[in-house]
Amino acid sequence: MTHRALSIRRYLPDQDQASYWQRYEVPADDSTSLLDALHYVKEELDSTLSYRWSCRMAICGSCGVMVNGIPRLGCKTFLRDLPHELRIEPLAHFPVARDLIVDMDVFLDHLAAVKPYLIEDAAVGTFDPAAPTPHRQTPAQLARYRQFANCINCGLCYSACPQFGLNPEFLGPGALALAHRYNLDSRDSGKQARMPVLNRHEGVWSCTFVGFCSQVCPKHVDPAAAVNQGKVEAAKHTLIALFKG
Amino acid sequence: MNRPPDAFPRLPRSWWLKHRYFKAYMLREATVLPLIFFLLCLMGGLWALYRGEEAWAAWLVFMRSPLVVALNLLALAASLYHAATFFVLFPRVMPLRLGRRAIAPQAIVAGQWVGVMIIGLLFFWLFGRT
Repeated sequence: MTHRALSIRRYLPDQDQASYWQRYEVPADDSTSLLDALHYVKEELDSTLSYRWSCRMAICGSCGVMVNGIPRLGCKTFLRDLPHELRIEPLAHFPVARDLIVDMDVFLDHLAAVKPYLIEDAAVGTFDPAAPTPHRQTPAQLARYRQFANCINCGLCYSACPQFGLNPEFLGPGALALAHRYNLDSRDSGKQARMPVLNRHEGVWSCTFVGFCSQVCPKHVDPAAAVNQGKVEAAKHTLIALFKG
Repeated sequence: MNRPPDAFPRLPRSWWLKHRYFKAYMLREATVLPLIFFLLCLMGGLWALYRGEEAWAAWLVFMRSPLVVALNLLALAASLYHAATFFVLFPRVMPLRLGRRAIAPQAIVAGQWVGVMIIGLLFFWLFGRT
């Protein structure tokens, strides 16, 4: 068991409007995750530290923070893999509420704007347990969107995206990847409803394929690929609209 | 919600110097700069061709000057680097399918390089003969 130093960017708006760095020493071995280290600080050293977490297993997407300038999930990041000097900050490009907690309303608004749910043409009938009508989907149809369905809405891609940092109106990698996920789903017929939102400057066209979103994604969703596949779809949409008049 | 001045931090102009990944991205985007020079050279050549033999000869001398050759070699290196990055991105943007099977990304990347070689050989055959 060794000791590691963490510098955490503190922000306590009820005490001070300026943020500051605070250094903590935590015990660590090969199995210590960054989230474990934050728990140690909170429980043993400084109960005023605030951060979000829930599942500890990269499913809930709550514990995203910047680690030496790179967005990462606290629970999926181990101190053994990191350089000795650690600087922990709240996720970039979001307003900070307190310490490591950010206000993710911007992301949630963008997510809602792309209608990330199955939209059907036919009205859904009353469910009859005697004769249920399941949505049938072949493995090949599932494979088309499966990768993009692994998103856990952690927001790391937004902190990695300089275009979102420069313009928070940009729908951003996460929302656009989920829009693409539903557009590719054989059970969905909501593409026409999503296209006007995607096919505009703040939609897919703000992306310049920096690609860092895909590098930091903890679930290997590859949002950069989804956004740029969305550009192909948006271009098709424009062309078809042009010929239809 | 309480939003202090530094809570919605504006990205400084130097954001891309923050780490290696952004620098590589900016290098990819900057490959256009030597290519602009190459295109201006080509357009100058067309203009010289239109103006007559004397202008054409002067353009040939200009193109042989060491600085111009060096800049055009830089443009060649930049376009090859851009191609290398673009070819890797292509299968992610346009995943291709052959019937019901997806084509492996490596095969798409290799196919693009084969295309570059074919065009290169074609140009060598067209312009390499004296």
